[in-house]
Amino acid sequence: MLRHLFTLIWNRKRANLLLISEIFFSFVVLFGVGTVLITAARNYLAPRGFEPTQVWRLLVRAGQGQKMPRAELDDVLRQVKALPGVQTVALTSNNLPFTFNTNNSDFIYKDRKSPFANTYDADDHYAEALRLRLREGRWFAPADDGTHHRPVVISQDLRDILFGDEPALGKIFTYNIPGKATKPEDEFQVVGVVDNVRMTTDFDEAIPSVWKRLIPYDTTHWETAAVLVRVAPDQGGVLQEKIARTVAGVTRQWSTEVRVMEDDRLHRRLYTLVPVVGLCIMGLFLIINVALGLFGVLWYNISQRRAEIGLRRAMGATGAGIGWQFLGEMMVVTTFGVILGSLLAAQFPLLNAFDLPAQPYLLAIGAAAGAVYLITALCAWQPSRLAASIQPAVALREE
Amino acid sequence: MTGAYCRYSLSYFNLFTRFSHLFLMENLLATSPETRPQPLNSPAATPVLRLTNIEKVYQTKTIETVALNQVNLTINRGEFVSIMGPSGCGKSTLLSLMGLLDEPTSGTIEVDGRPVTAYSDRELAGLRNLKIGFVFQSYHLINDLSVVDNVEVPLLYRKGMSGKERRQRALTALDKVGLSARTGHFPGQLSGGQRQRVAIARALAGGPEIILADEPTGNLDSVMGEEIMDLLLALNRQEGVTVVMVTHDEQQALKTERVIRFFDGSQVS
Repeated sequence: MLRHLFTLIWNRKRANLLLISEIFFSFVVLFGVGTVLITAARNYLAPRGFEPTQVWRLLVRAGQGQKMPRAELDDVLRQVKALPGVQTVALTSNNLPFTFNTNNSDFIYKDRKSPFANTYDADDHYAEALRLRLREGRWFAPADDGTHHRPVVISQDLRDILFGDEPALGKIFTYNIPGKATKPEDEFQVVGVVDNVRMTTDFDEAIPSVWKRLIPYDTTHWETAAVLVRVAPDQGGVLQEKIARTVAGVTRQWSTEVRVMEDDRLHRRLYTLVPVVGLCIMGLFLIINVALGLFGVLWYNISQRRAEIGLRRAMGATGAGIGWQFLGEMMVVTTFGVILGSLLAAQFPLLNAFDLPAQPYLLAIGAAAGAVYLITALCAWQPSRLAASIQPAVALREE
Repeated sequence: MTGAYCRYSLSYFNLFTRFSHLFLMENLLATSPETRPQPLNSPAATPVLRLTNIEKVYQTKTIETVALNQVNLTINRGEFVSIMGPSGCGKSTLLSLMGLLDEPTSGTIEVDGRPVTAYSDRELAGLRNLKIGFVFQSYHLINDLSVVDNVEVPLLYRKGMSGKERRQRALTALDKVGLSARTGHFPGQLSGGQRQRVAIARALAGGPEIILADEPTGNLDSVMGEEIMDLLLALNRQEGVTVVMVTHDEQQALKTERVIRFFDGSQVS
């Protein structure tokens, strides 16, 4: 019977061409939306590499044209750390997790070049504040003060790119600036390797990262200092007020802003979710349109093929058999559309499009195929039932 | 031992009557309608279809139409029966009931002595597939299937039959109707007579005991009509297939073994 259905559909290929192309486009849309959703879900479920809960970001601003002397900044850090409820305080660069500030560079080790990697300035307490997970070596320590090269900690993905199977600790790499002599301060020595981190949004993948040891010998040119504050559980507005008062106690010229990193995370998440939800809604409308179209075409097909239905019943088909035949025909038509769509979709992993691994693409192909079969089966169900209920004697007499 | 003897005796008797019947059919075709012998109604004739007190009433919200009224009819194995009557007298309804495509409002239909009124949809479909072949006035070929694929259609619903066997049986049936050279053609490429032959081959492919033909020559010119009629007669004579044919053509009806006339839903002769 399956061969018969294939023969029938193949012989009706011109009539079915529009139906097949409709299914093809539905598949492509579902594949696209599926890839976005699966990639986002995979990233969401992947380890973040650090713990943003109970971390606040404290921005201390000296004001435009004002100075931020090192001694006063150190005083602020010391006094904030001493507050009850504060566990750790770490000085860092402005590109804090879940903010829109980014700082990136590409690096080279021998002939191995990295893609653009996020670079952060971090003091000796940064790892403790964000609870980064060390895989090799150590985090920065006062012992690094006298080193010739600037100590850095890198993420595991960057380590794999630059050093492969070689040991990474102690290795020196530089910025990738072809034709320019490297200055000693631009030579970075690896002292540690941490887990991959996802600091942009919940739905983005890990980005290779480099933490350069922050050496604030002179902060007078700074206008803003970014500070990570890890607090004890259940701390809230009272502590935030205390922190603001503490900074004001050191110097009244400086202003402060304390934000909860968890709030930043949720806020940043919206920037990914809104377009994804929009895409899903558009896809849904498209699929509903396609489904209604399929439903109408099938309904019309059945009304056009009443004599054939009567004939098949006369030849020995049961009512249920007729219903299954129409459902089967629709599945065969769907198969043609899905095969064409899969051929197109398979190009994405083969061409390594958008630098995504093959797995989300393959999962999206499977999911899109499943969804298309489900939609067409649902659309074909009622018309097939109608076909099954046609009285053969009546259908045969009509022509 | 006695039982076995009786069974053998009965079989030989049936065989004898069958040969006698075929011999008579040969004569029947050779003689003119006026000198044609009367149909076989010997006690030994085996009923293949029996309709008892059949009534068929179509009901709508406003009108009740009696299509068949108290029809009692027996079709014997190997007979060629024609059904005649004016349009709307219930001929096609009768054929639908005989073909188990419709259920009577009241009365009993028996196939091979077994009442089928209480059969399920699946059992009726099985009976239609195994025992009955249909030939329609408008051929009812599937235009998107080749000739051989059209002939295979009834065999698709036969369980356990391989694709190879289906194809072989379809080709044999097409050979019988003289269309071996047209197996790959599509219905649109054939003449009306050829299409009707394909329909007959399709009815034959399943090896049915009964062929129900609803005005098989109605859409054909007289030459092609004759051709199809001859084919049905030959099938009846050579293959022993029981044929029940609805026709408006008096000349063709007279070539058959028995003519049943209907008027206004009732059998009048």
